[in-house]
Amino acid sequence: MRNVKKIFSVLLATVMIFGLVSCGKSTNNSSGEASSNDVTSTEKVTYDKVVYAYATFNNIPSSEVLNTVEEAINQITREKIGVEVELMPIGIADYSSTVSLSLQGGDQIDVFESLGDFNTSVSSGMAYDLTDIIDTCAAETKATLSEDILASCIQNERLYGIPTYKPYALTPMVIYKQEIADELGIDMSQVKSVEDLTDVLRSVKTAYPDMTPVVPAQSGNPNMVLLVSDQIDYLTDDYYSPKGVLMDDSLVVADLYNTTKFEDICDLMRVWYEENLILQDAATTTSTASELMSSDNTFCYVASYSYPPEDTAASLEAQCGGNKLGAVQIGDAYLDTTSINALSWMVASNSKVAESALKFINLTFTDQDIINLLIYGIKDRDYVLDADGYASYPEGKDAASVDYTAQLSCGTLGNYFLMYPMSGTSKDSLVWEEEQNQLAAKSPAMGFTFDSSSVKTEYTAVSNVIQQYLPSLLCGSVDPDTVLPEFRDRLETAGLGAIISEKQKQLDNWATGVIGE
Amino acid sequence: MKNKRVKKNRGLTKSGPLLLIAFPGILYLFINNYIPMFGVFLAFKDYNFMKGIFGSDWCGFQNFKYLFRQDAFVIIRNTILYNLVFIVIGTILAILVAVLMCELGTKSRVKFFQSSLLLPNLLSWVVIGFIGFAFLNADTGFINNTLIEFFGGEKIAWYTTPKYWPAILTLVYLWKNLGYMSIIYMASIAGIDKSIYEAAQIDGAAKLKQISHITIPMLKPTVIVLMLLAVGRIFYSDFGLFYQVPMNSGALYDVTQTIDTYVYHGIMELNDVGMSAAAGLYQSIVGFILVVSVNALVRKFDGENALF
Repeated sequence: MRNVKKIFSVLLATVMIFGLVSCGKSTNNSSGEASSNDVTSTEKVTYDKVVYAYATFNNIPSSEVLNTVEEAINQITREKIGVEVELMPIGIADYSSTVSLSLQGGDQIDVFESLGDFNTSVSSGMAYDLTDIIDTCAAETKATLSEDILASCIQNERLYGIPTYKPYALTPMVIYKQEIADELGIDMSQVKSVEDLTDVLRSVKTAYPDMTPVVPAQSGNPNMVLLVSDQIDYLTDDYYSPKGVLMDDSLVVADLYNTTKFEDICDLMRVWYEENLILQDAATTTSTASELMSSDNTFCYVASYSYPPEDTAASLEAQCGGNKLGAVQIGDAYLDTTSINALSWMVASNSKVAESALKFINLTFTDQDIINLLIYGIKDRDYVLDADGYASYPEGKDAASVDYTAQLSCGTLGNYFLMYPMSGTSKDSLVWEEEQNQLAAKSPAMGFTFDSSSVKTEYTAVSNVIQQYLPSLLCGSVDPDTVLPEFRDRLETAGLGAIISEKQKQLDNWATGVIGE
Repeated sequence: MKNKRVKKNRGLTKSGPLLLIAFPGILYLFINNYIPMFGVFLAFKDYNFMKGIFGSDWCGFQNFKYLFRQDAFVIIRNTILYNLVFIVIGTILAILVAVLMCELGTKSRVKFFQSSLLLPNLLSWVVIGFIGFAFLNADTGFINNTLIEFFGGEKIAWYTTPKYWPAILTLVYLWKNLGYMSIIYMASIAGIDKSIYEAAQIDGAAKLKQISHITIPMLKPTVIVLMLLAVGRIFYSDFGLFYQVPMNSGALYDVTQTIDTYVYHGIMELNDVGMSAAAGLYQSIVGFILVVSVNALVRKFDGENALF
């Protein structure tokens, strides 16, 4: 009897271990298959495999669909640069964290975009130093982009990224519902400033007492900082958490929160809040502007776009519940380093195929077929092209139902000017956009990037304070008379002063270098 | 000679199968809890992707500095105070619920109440955050539009008024976790020998007397073990509770910010692995010290119930 028990327990144990092992095996198998596939393909000719991670604002396509697009791209890349590409679309919300975790975990990602975090990507060593290989691997791209555009990705005289080529100049605009403006006889083209806007909002509120005239563009940000001054250089900080900025063409780093302009904006927002002109939950809402604009009781929001006002309004209509929209420009475009390097393409520092990766990046800037495959997918299945060269979705399909599209990522991948324009926009827009790139005022610190590593501790603390106070101040949900002084105090304790002086120091060094040249 | 060998063999044959059975569990523990311990290095490194974990430069206690700034004290205070409140009120209420459940009698009734108490525990914090939002929303929220309107008060901007939040967070925490916490106590109540109650009944002890003199004292070991475990995690906080439920509203940070959310906010922008590793290490070390010292206290006053 005892023996039987013993035998059973041994059996049980072996079964469990084998169960475990076979579990492990099954996962091994699948990856084994994948790699054996590679082997068979590499047996013919050796192609480097480049993993291209890009952020998509559309639905993430299924892997079968993705394979078809990959194959179409590979047919070009095998021939042109001897490389095979694996596409890795990542939802925009998870993009930065997924990429940085994958790189830490040793997963293969060769090409990624900096997505607003140029400095972090460089200072944490994620980005490959491209200085020595750009001439051999991406000479055409270098020629396409002008020197000062590339300069925005240079830190300590080394080049770490290639900025997406697109309309850089972001112009602040009010996006509003055309029908309501028409009905109330408001001439929106007369709106030139935030004060003009206030009057419009008041008349909307009087006509529709239940309406919330303004909604925030992002949670906690009605984007009014845009209106503090036409010319703010954030000195490579996050737009939503600026710590020390340059204002009005000076080279003196200023504390944005200590300016009267900032105070005025906070006061104005408080007025909006108290008169119910702005969404009461603006500081905390998790709804996006387009969701809020889809509902009946909203009127407008403020945001910056790089397309002409008419095009911007037309392209946003489908997202905003099909309401007829209008847009009016209320500020001028301004270019600083961040507006260019916020979206730059980088090669991962631990990439084993850095040169091939850069060659592929080069193709996304120079090869019209590649860029359109990435954005629109496969012709006639995912999009159709009319005689004038405008792209649209096939009959009966839209952005959500088509097999593959990354249309909303347009302007983030490679060369925007090589993409087929969407039908509904006009090719004249491209002219406008190129023009804005030229015309926009440029920051005197254009090309300067800030290295935050020596003030990391202060940076963390200040970020926390800003997140605590800035959204509610900018949405008017707290009284600036009492809260603004408190905010300034806390910033001071958190070490904003140290960040500003460090910035000034680096900026001065940079400036002498530039003048010295 | 021969005898000895037989004995040795018998020891192995006896515990061998048991060891084999435990092996997958041990392996899991090793892979999941011990191998990642190497990450502790990161807390003292200026981490650089190119150089890797071991190649990065040492930076001493640089990564810890931000946790000990003057303005970081409020978050440590919050973390500890919330956890203390949760431990004390949570334990008392969980025992109360467990005792009441056991007195319900019919099985179907017990099952019904137990399931309905457990239900919130199955919801994710995101969902609970939005349920809270439906109640507290300034424009369309339930409380502002029905309760406050009915009693004729002034509408409250909940998400920007810090003073209500300690109460709201405690309430939400209890609502979500009470059912789950009480299950463990119910299990130990079920384990109490029924004959003790019978004897007490014969001696004329009423229900309340039975509860205070039998049930509660018999629960003491369970309470102590659970307390010790909770104290070990006193420097941790439920990220979902403190991040999702207040909708990450900045105006509330003074009362809702805990170590975990502070680290999250600070590092989101910097993306610094070393600093988050430092925060994790700091939390574990304090937790470890607390567990050992609380256990020492328990051992001193009530030797047999100490954990180790």
